Amino acid sequence: MNPSPDPWVWFAAFLTLCIFSFLYKDNLFYQFAEHLFVGISAGYLIAITWHNQIYPNLVVPLFFEGRILYVVPLAFGLFYFARFIPRVSFLVRIPIAFLLGWGSGVFIPAIFQRDILRQTQGTLLVREAFEKWDSGLWAVIILIGVICTLIYFFFSRERKGLIKPMANLGIIFLMLGFGASFGYTVMSRISLLIGRMQFLLGDWLGIIQ
Amino acid sequence: MSIFELLTKIPRQIIFLVIGIAIAIPLIVPIGMPVNIMPKSRSLFQAIDTLGPHSKPVLVSCDFDPQSMPELYPMLVSILRHCFARDVKVMLMALWPQGPGLVELALDEVPRNYGKEYGRDYAFLGYKFGVAAVLLGMGENIKGVFPFDYYGTSLDSIPIMRRINTYGDISMVISLSTGDPGWRQWLLYAQSRYNASLGVGVTAVSAADVYPYVETGQVIGLLAGMKGASEYETMVQNEGYSDGILRAVQGMDAQSLGHLLIMIFIVLGNVGYFAMRRKK
Repeated sequence: MNPSPDPWVWFAAFLTLCIFSFLYKDNLFYQFAEHLFVGISAGYLIAITWHNQIYPNLVVPLFFEGRILYVVPLAFGLFYFARFIPRVSFLVRIPIAFLLGWGSGVFIPAIFQRDILRQTQGTLLVREAFEKWDSGLWAVIILIGVICTLIYFFFSRERKGLIKPMANLGIIFLMLGFGASFGYTVMSRISLLIGRMQFLLGDWLGIIQ
Repeated sequence: MSIFELLTKIPRQIIFLVIGIAIAIPLIVPIGMPVNIMPKSRSLFQAIDTLGPHSKPVLVSCDFDPQSMPELYPMLVSILRHCFARDVKVMLMALWPQGPGLVELALDEVPRNYGKEYGRDYAFLGYKFGVAAVLLGMGENIKGVFPFDYYGTSLDSIPIMRRINTYGDISMVISLSTGDPGWRQWLLYAQSRYNASLGVGVTAVSAADVYPYVETGQVIGLLAGMKGASEYETMVQNEGYSDGILRAVQGMDAQSLGHLLIMIFIVLGNVGYFAMRRKK
């Protein structure tokens, strides 16, 4: 055992144990660590936004370089605060309208390309998919899974005849998907615990490398 | 109280304690479980392994915070080791404000072991706010989005950045991502719009979302959570690119034991529940 001589490591270990104490029950140590985290995060974000965004991209060009056109984004930004003054609160619609228009123009074609065109292409059975027997099998399973899952979400017809077993198969594919997601979630949460354990046992106490 | 009733009412504190012990023991006394390499991890490794000193640089985007360090930081370190061992030039940036601190941590650790020099072999562009504008802007002119690096030096005066203008001047982008903004935005703007080659490393919780894009080839390779990180660490070590500490491999014994225990608790809880229901 070779505990760290660094006081900051000890402080980090203390805060980790404060947070872990919640596993027993809510207490003052947990609340102290939680409030400290929220406060520091907010402060850090404000400082980063100022130094990384507002100062170099607005203050410098507008006030130090005299680029007058930067008054427009400044005004747009200030309009967001107009909602606190009822008389001029309508001004907030201007930047929101601008963002919605710009966002839709940028997002819609890109999302169409990323999620619809390419994903539909990936579902099609093409000759290359059958060059190996296993990739061919997976391609068929993917196609069946996509069709059955889409049929499960097709509510415009009564579930009878061929639609019923296909929708039921769709449920099985959905459940498999949820199961895989849940398994990955458990893995992720355990990883967080492992990370903290590695810190406590390694960086703090020096029991492991 | 019957045994079945007891199974449905195990205090959560006991479960936490048992899992905590089960995680700690394999870290102190490693079991040494083998690491099987998945094809999706190997694809990313091979994509970097084909690069060399004369290839275009690799851009690594650290889109995560300290909370995701156990899963994503080992990926960052292993990818840097791999690139530096193959003399591939590296550019780093972050879409998360907490990212730069983690990049600096890795840059303090890795480059000196390979004799790499800042500016000649790697550069750090820093964090930039405004995801869509940043990624779209980089497709037109990287130096327009990042006129200066993280340390305030003009990109024009950094040797490896002199000929870098757009995604076309980069071999591939690797997004190590814990959520939004992250791999989704890289895929949406850099890959779909500018055809940039994209590799992804994500926390396990997001891994299932990436699979469809790997299947279609939109993402060239995927590292999924601590498992993916341990696979990459193993491949880098097996090829003789590094003999450093393998943090993710070290954690995988604990991961396996933790999963086993959770499965046991799920089975016990269900046995208790169905036995109690039958009694009623």
